[in-house]
Amino acid sequence: MSEGFDFKINKEELEFKINTKIYSLKAIYQTAYLFLDKVYLLLDGDPKKEVIVVMKLKPEIKQDLKILAGEFHNELFNQLLREKILETNAKIREYIVSKALYNAVPSEVDELLKEVEEEDWQEDPLGIAKPWEETKKKSSAKGGSASGGKTAKKRKNGKTKAK
Amino acid sequence: MEKLKLNKGIYKETAIKQAMEDFSELAEFEVKKDSKFFIVNLNNVKSEYKASLKDEFANYVLGLMS
Repeated sequence: MSEGFDFKINKEELEFKINTKIYSLKAIYQTAYLFLDKVYLLLDGDPKKEVIVVMKLKPEIKQDLKILAGEFHNELFNQLLREKILETNAKIREYIVSKALYNAVPSEVDELLKEVEEEDWQEDPLGIAKPWEETKKKSSAKGGSASGGKTAKKRKNGKTKAK
Repeated sequence: MEKLKLNKGIYKETAIKQAMEDFSELAEFEVKKDSKFFIVNLNNVKSEYKASLKDEFANYVLGLMS
């Protein structure tokens, strides 16, 4: 048997060690979680070097403890792979989520464009769309008669005074 | 009385306390610490759970850790 898969059997218990330089503590917890319905597990050892797993079959489970220990090791590989994938895909995941959130919120530019589209461009409340000649004619006609009237009175008054 | 030793570097105190609360109807729990372990004492364990309560408790704590 290889060095990484040594185990001791003591009565009903099976004990093996897991190198935490290869498998993270998180991977060990996740793996242990998957076996809680079949075996009683107790973890010990130095989490910086190696964790000792003590495994005992539950009374209602009729399986070989050695096979379960082997499956535990296989599952450790799975968890390790999951961690690596999570790590390598972290940036892509973040990008996808941020992009989805960004698209869900309407941008200021979109809102302004919508406002412009909704506006009636033919309305001219300030009268700036009218031709210059038209407005000039009107103002000169109004202004001309008013000022002309005043000057005429002045002249008239001047003439009477001179007489 | 039964005694369960849980490694301080592996088990979290918050998980142990949560488990103690969740199992409080099945036994009386008391936790002490030494330099390396949390030592959980199980007292007045209900007779029907005597055979497995310690192991089930350890599993439950581990479940809370993951």
